[in-house]
Amino acid sequence: MIARLKSNWSYLAIATLFVFLILAPFDWFLGQYTTLMIVIGIYTIVTVGLCLLMGYTGQVSLGQAAFFGMGAYISAILSTTYGFNPWLAMLIAAVMTGAFAYIIGSPIFRLKGNYLAMATLGLGLIMWIVFKQLNQSFGEPDGISGIPYLSIGGFVFDSSFRRYFLVWAFCLVILFTSQNIIRSRTGRALRAIHGSESAAESIGINVGRFKVKILVLSAVYASLAGSLFAHHLRYIGAQPFDFLASVKLVVMAVIGGLASIWGAIFGAGTTHILSDELLLRFGDWDVVIYGLILVLVMIFMPEGLFVKLKEVFERLRLRYRKKGVEP
Amino acid sequence: MSRSVILETKGLSKAFGGLVALDKVDLSIESGKITAVIGPNGAGKTTLFNLITGVYPMSGGDIYFQGALLNKVPPHKRASLGIVRTFQHVYLFGNMNVLENVMSGRHPRSSYGFLEAALRLPKARREEEAISLNAIKYLNLVGLGTYAEHDALSLPLGQQKLLAIARALATEPRLILLDEPGAGLNTLEKRQLSDLIRNIREMGVSVILVEHDMPLVMGIAEWVIVLDSGQKIAEGTAAQVQKDPKVIAAYLGEEVEEC
Amino acid sequence: MSSAQFVQYLITGITSGSIYALAGLGFTIIYAVTRIINFAQGEFVMLGGLVAFTLIHRAGIPLVPALFLSILIAAAVGAAMYLLAIRPPKKASVVSLIIITIGVAMLVRGIAGQELTKEFIRLPSFSGEQSMSFLGAHIDPQALWIIGTTVVVTIILHLFLTYTMVGKALKACAINPVASSLVGINPKTMALIAFVLAAAIGGIGGVVFAPLTLMSYQAGVMLGLKGFVAAAIGGFKSPVAAVIGGLLLGIIESFVVAANWGPFTSDYKDAIALVVLLFILLIRSGKLAEEERAG
Repeated sequence: MIARLKSNWSYLAIATLFVFLILAPFDWFLGQYTTLMIVIGIYTIVTVGLCLLMGYTGQVSLGQAAFFGMGAYISAILSTTYGFNPWLAMLIAAVMTGAFAYIIGSPIFRLKGNYLAMATLGLGLIMWIVFKQLNQSFGEPDGISGIPYLSIGGFVFDSSFRRYFLVWAFCLVILFTSQNIIRSRTGRALRAIHGSESAAESIGINVGRFKVKILVLSAVYASLAGSLFAHHLRYIGAQPFDFLASVKLVVMAVIGGLASIWGAIFGAGTTHILSDELLLRFGDWDVVIYGLILVLVMIFMPEGLFVKLKEVFERLRLRYRKKGVEP
Repeated sequence: MSRSVILETKGLSKAFGGLVALDKVDLSIESGKITAVIGPNGAGKTTLFNLITGVYPMSGGDIYFQGALLNKVPPHKRASLGIVRTFQHVYLFGNMNVLENVMSGRHPRSSYGFLEAALRLPKARREEEAISLNAIKYLNLVGLGTYAEHDALSLPLGQQKLLAIARALATEPRLILLDEPGAGLNTLEKRQLSDLIRNIREMGVSVILVEHDMPLVMGIAEWVIVLDSGQKIAEGTAAQVQKDPKVIAAYLGEEVEEC
Repeated sequence: MSSAQFVQYLITGITSGSIYALAGLGFTIIYAVTRIINFAQGEFVMLGGLVAFTLIHRAGIPLVPALFLSILIAAAVGAAMYLLAIRPPKKASVVSLIIITIGVAMLVRGIAGQELTKEFIRLPSFSGEQSMSFLGAHIDPQALWIIGTTVVVTIILHLFLTYTMVGKALKACAINPVASSLVGINPKTMALIAFVLAAAIGGIGGVVFAPLTLMSYQAGVMLGLKGFVAAAIGGFKSPVAAVIGGLLLGIIESFVVAANWGPFTSDYKDAIALVVLLFILLIRSGKLAEEERAG
């Protein structure tokens, strides 16, 4: 019964979100922030994957920026140096990144214990070194430039306005797809693993393989986001894919709520805006503040800020309803 | 009626470092019957279950399920073969409601995957229908039909245990292992449990039961196996086993220790 | 490669390996007692070096007292970390706790960078700069201090764990926390001791390493990672195995750089540890999976 009530509110919330998103890039509304929102949309895509990964495998990925960067670099290199169609390049990037995640994930998830954290930390650092190397091989010393805009037929995504809708279209498709997965047999298996690995195994769920699958899913999402990123900035360096970037992604996921899907928008949005603000006001103290946020959120709101806010909202709503019923 | 064996162990052993939990145990579980495994604490009963379900690797011996060797089959595959268990500590999926817990049990009997789910293809939607209907059937079987949308953990212990059994039954097993299903239940609940176990037997599912509650065991078990310190010390009908001096000695030994 | 060069590379490897070993000990102790992977372990090493430097250059404290004070401060940070960030969350999952240690690591690193120093620092060598000769190779005397300290710490730790009441209690808690709580060992006290011990050992590592190499507030990341690899080689269970792991990693690193093979030039030598890590994971996933299932 509670599920039914919740879903009415959910429809309302999502509808509101839709309207907001569609109106946002217009000058009379939030048009000046269009570029900011494009980037938030891109980070949301990575964050959803990370939320699902950390939420359902119970392990931490400290190298998600590696997958993000792989998508960006493969797209960039294939579409500039080799003249590939950007859409094809994006697809190839997603497949390659996914395959890579599969190869790494299989041995890691066969181990009991928290090896994912360190393995992804290591992976992230290795890939960052690789990216710097790729800069030298395929572009000017510090990055790859001249990345083309995406286009469909003659319609080129050359303005922020157009790219905004492209990115958010991707983002919403991914959010809905993720929701479909969670509501399905696969999603139940993932939630079962989260609930009790022993019991999940006893009813025939191959725990290790599912964990690998969700790692691959998160890697594919990150890769798609990376490709969109490359075709948005038209220039990529190694800096957005360093260790700090991976940590920022974890902060986004934590604030959005591990195992939460729509919370990812909230997490990515607040963290990204916060990080720009923090950098402005506090300079190098921003790292300290990230650390503080991580610690405080995990101690007091481990389900994530977004989920906590939902709970508070629910409680206020119930109290309000009670008051209404009382004569 | 020909007598057929659903599960057989030959020389089954398990050692944890220097500690021997099971010592060359030979068992022959008859198909379609309710078999109880009893014994004082530390006899190796839960270890036996863990070996049969593949949670622990064996130290020695062989297990045969329906005539086929089970040794190397990974635990999650054993469920699709038809072996399922419940746990002493229940282990429900707290992040789902009652119905979804049972629907999870349909996992080995359904097949659509990531892609079909993501795109909500017709195959996925058809299978979801079937999964729902089947789950409701098993929920009604254990008497929890009206609680379908409640949070799984909001149920009292007795009903949580019934839910766990419903979830296990949803896998359509040939053999179900019940690990202390009666623990923590009151007299009425234990009677309902006995009826449910008999129903399960009527459905053609073989039952192996580990229990400490003697009246419960003696009331429904058609065959009783007694373990002590990792070895089988007796087996027979409930009446035979109750009078066996070795069995009495094993339990008396335990009582003396408790004093 | 001449035999003199061989010995040179070997000594270099053992020297850096000793630091990895000390970091690895810290990881192992905390993991064994609490099942947490402490991402701030590398920061304890960094603190050892940077705090000592700050004490000497800003507070005018002489070398030897500064060293000991620095180790004490590192241990205090370890205690504070446990009491303020690890103990409070009541039902925290392992994921949460790991993220918390990451947060603490960033906090410590950031504050060190802001409050202590942003530059690369170096402590004075303990016994002069004159390098000695050994089998044709040159050894910096500080290297002897490093190796010696590691050996002494390992021995003392072993004696502590085997023969003292507290040490035995710590071991018991690592093997079976439930059973040990039944005999009166308080797991929270044990966890606190584990953190303090790991931080102190890390601090010791930082203090002996800083004279030999330049250290910055960012040093903790790589040192922590390499300490993790050392602990992983040792299976996170045995302190001695972690030490061996650290030494092994140091030696491998040294010889791979010497061979100047492929991408592993000295610029990218850090990547070696990461490759070793991934390699270990591949090997262990085959063997360990079954054992850990039963445990």
